[in-house]
Amino acid sequence: MVLSGVPLLTVVTFAPLVGALLIALVPRQREGLIRWLALTAAVVAFVASLALLVDFRPDIAGFQAVEEVAWIPAFGIEYKLGLDGISLVLVILTTTLSAISILASFGPIKSRMKEYLISFLILEVGLIGVFLALDLFLFYIFWEIVLVPMYLIIGIWGGANRIYATLKFVLYTLVGSLLMLVAILATAFSFQAATGSWAGAFDFEQLRTFGFDPGLQFLAFGAFFLAFAIKVPMFPLHTWLPDAHVEAPTAGSVILAAVMLKLGAYGFIRFALPLFPQAAQEWAPAIIVLSLIAIIYGAIVALVQPDLKKLVAYSSVSHMGFVTLGIFIFQEQGLQGAILQMVNHGVITGALFLLVGVIYERTHDRAIAKMGGLAAPTPVYAAIFGFFMLASLGLPGMSGFVGEFLVLLGTFDVSPIAAAIATFVIILSAAYLMWMFQRVVFGELSDFLRGLGHHLTDMTPRELLTVTPLVGLTLALGVAPGLVLDLIAMPVTEVLARVAAPLVGAAGP
Amino acid sequence: MSQNDILALLPLILVVVLAMAVIVVDMIVPGRDQLISALAVTGLAAIMVVVAVCGPLPAGIGLLPGAGHQVFPDAVGAGVYVRDQMTTFLDLLFVFIALLSALFAVDYLKPRGLPMAEFTATLLFAISGAMLLAGARDLLILFLGLELLVLPGYMLAGYAKRDGLSTEGAVKYFLLGSFSSAILLFGLALVLGYTGSTRVAGVAGVLADVAAGSTTLAPGLAMGLALLTTGVAFKIAAVPFHYWTPDAYQGSPTPVTGYLSVGPKIAAFALILRLFVEALAPLKADWVGAVIILAAVTMTLGNLVAIGQDNIKRMLGYSSIAHTGYMLVGLAAFAGAPAGSVAEQQGLEALFFYVAVYAFMNLGAFACVSALQRRPGVTSQIGSFAGLGRRAPLLGVAMTLFLLSLIGIPPTAGFFGKAYVILAAVNTGGWVAALAVLMTLNAAAAAFYYLRVVVYMYMREAPDPAQGVPLGLFTRAGLIISAVATALSLFVLTPFIDIVRGAAQALL
Repeated sequence: MVLSGVPLLTVVTFAPLVGALLIALVPRQREGLIRWLALTAAVVAFVASLALLVDFRPDIAGFQAVEEVAWIPAFGIEYKLGLDGISLVLVILTTTLSAISILASFGPIKSRMKEYLISFLILEVGLIGVFLALDLFLFYIFWEIVLVPMYLIIGIWGGANRIYATLKFVLYTLVGSLLMLVAILATAFSFQAATGSWAGAFDFEQLRTFGFDPGLQFLAFGAFFLAFAIKVPMFPLHTWLPDAHVEAPTAGSVILAAVMLKLGAYGFIRFALPLFPQAAQEWAPAIIVLSLIAIIYGAIVALVQPDLKKLVAYSSVSHMGFVTLGIFIFQEQGLQGAILQMVNHGVITGALFLLVGVIYERTHDRAIAKMGGLAAPTPVYAAIFGFFMLASLGLPGMSGFVGEFLVLLGTFDVSPIAAAIATFVIILSAAYLMWMFQRVVFGELSDFLRGLGHHLTDMTPRELLTVTPLVGLTLALGVAPGLVLDLIAMPVTEVLARVAAPLVGAAGP
Repeated sequence: MSQNDILALLPLILVVVLAMAVIVVDMIVPGRDQLISALAVTGLAAIMVVVAVCGPLPAGIGLLPGAGHQVFPDAVGAGVYVRDQMTTFLDLLFVFIALLSALFAVDYLKPRGLPMAEFTATLLFAISGAMLLAGARDLLILFLGLELLVLPGYMLAGYAKRDGLSTEGAVKYFLLGSFSSAILLFGLALVLGYTGSTRVAGVAGVLADVAAGSTTLAPGLAMGLALLTTGVAFKIAAVPFHYWTPDAYQGSPTPVTGYLSVGPKIAAFALILRLFVEALAPLKADWVGAVIILAAVTMTLGNLVAIGQDNIKRMLGYSSIAHTGYMLVGLAAFAGAPAGSVAEQQGLEALFFYVAVYAFMNLGAFACVSALQRRPGVTSQIGSFAGLGRRAPLLGVAMTLFLLSLIGIPPTAGFFGKAYVILAAVNTGGWVAALAVLMTLNAAAAAFYYLRVVVYMYMREAPDPAQGVPLGLFTRAGLIISAVATALSLFVLTPFIDIVRGAAQALL
């Protein structure tokens, strides 16, 4: 226990907030100082999240490094943070990509840098908080905090149709999450009614061993499902995603794809399954079907997209379909693969959005039809783009392969038909990615790009600095997926044990 | 008068004295608007201290915890006016509303040549009416308090007398207000005729027999109940009795609109609490259905109509109707729960919590509109907000905060208010739980029109970007107070819950 006594989880969560408050005090003319402060805050959060690894014991069940302070004792609401392998992995993913995104913003964001970085850091607080909160009320607060900065980032710094996109994003997510609030309060009340006390009514550790009434489980799971499915996003609730991605600035897209989509999947694994195991069993077949539809639909639609960002966005729908499939197949390899796929998708899709941003910086266009022949003028860019294209389609040796493979393995164990359908789609994903790559990178330099002349430069050192860590991560997780799998093995077993043997109806309504 | 009576009525007396002091000072040194504001603000702040000292508050918060003071107690010890924890809580709130209104008014009224002293004095008289309502336990005193509250309100609405819209709004407000007062009075007369008592405790005693089934609900009493419900529905602007609201809100000078959207509304809820929750509680099974329907219709219609508004004051007017609906959900949670249950008390707690939070955020939002309109000629159309985030950063941030709170995004105060109401509604269950679901859907719909203002402030450019919005000292102070209260409420939730809990227990 090297770091005992330090409330490290609080430090990780609120380091970006401290940065945001400091930035608020700096006059906007001093942009250099503002950038430096933002990057420092993000790096502090990153280092602190790595420090979590020091004392983390992957062999211990339950939560570690728990921090618990009474907040609203009248209703048993606590400020309670805690860590298991799943949250640890996702927190590190968040802090890594947040720091990279902030660095990546320094070029493209031309106006109101101060407000932008404040929004971004507050966004990071919400994201980290969601992964660490163990009190359902606190979890909900972090969950909603994410909404406002993202709304501003898309709406202020986004593209031409940004206002439509950002309102759509907010309204979609708000409908889902508000119903989840009702469900959270209803479960807390049900706990209170059974135990006669509010103490622990929002405490996840107490609630997960409680065993809710099946009727309540069914409804509450429905509300949680809606909130999480919109965030993932699952077919047919995904329509906000392409709009938000296309209009968001590059760093916004990166965080949206790499971290925000994981909130929904994390919510399923952390809260929906252990709290409502019986309802999860009842809902699972429908969700698996929806996941398969998402996998196929996302891939087919990606095939015909004329816009680079939209293509990557729809590929996200397909990839996240693998994640929900892996979760709801209720099988060990499947769930492990799903979590690994969450990390991989974060790294790879994050990198793809960064790369689309690089080309957009130079051309101010994302139309695939206008591109072509990028290999000659920008060889480094083409090579890195190719690397992540291959990683995204699941080339063995890179991280994307392991996650999808484990999900398919787990699915095959339970339902060979579902596995067959999902495997077929890997061909489709190879098709849309390689076809896109071929049109953008190979062949003659297009007239549009030729017209740019010397503006079409290769990647700058700053841009290289943003993608290099992601290249490293992709390779490392491809060769040694155990880095993640060892951390998540114990929590995966716990979750599946809860689903397999649900406590039913231990208490009244 | 005994010492007890004086202690109970002291805050009320002080507000009236302050109103008269304002008039006298204005007669001696006319036209000194800043001085009048400073006098009113310091006076009201002092009165808040007096309220907190005189009135009972939960142990650990109040300086002198106690059971409260009764005025003219009768044989069973129930007075015509009581200073209990509910009175203390609501008085603090009312005085604070007056204080914020006085802070926000001066920068708006002065450039338009509207006299500050008359505004302040009228406002204080209205507040004294609200404070009378908060503690009244006699049907006649309740009606007296109500009229004392609304008559100055009509004057305030028509305060910009050379402005056609202001006069139109005031006349509508006056006509429908008088009409609803008459209906209410009819209802009171029928209740009096049936129960033979004007005392709240006496009425409740007689009605308890009806509820117990030993006597039937007489047609006259049912009629009285219907008339009372209609009367208070007018006063809180519940749908379908809301038609006066948008015109009165749009026409009134903006600081007056801010006051009208919180002061009379919360005071009318005080009336409901004393009348329905205390006097008519035994019959609650008979009126809960009406409250559920009113709540559902009010929040839904208020929000749907607000979506289409391009005038901010009108939009906030309709949104305040929607918030009335949310408050009614709290009342429904009380009424739908079995007598003596925890859920019953929680409904009232939620109602108290929500009205306080609503007062801060709604006054703050109107204060932003009024600060923006400091220069005469700036309309309250949504276009006036274009590029505000750049032109006036403090105003932009404050307005965004109030709007987020009105939507109910955590960690603003509005979120905790909504969560409390939803929790209470879920606890009560049944149809009231369905109201909670409807409420969340409404909150999502409301996000659309609130965020539209944010879109204008931050995502559109002003026609004249160089034009700043200078804030006066008083406005700045008021904005900071209400913004801090809205943003940092999460740190003081426990004492605040204790206070609303004490207020709710005082009623039951």
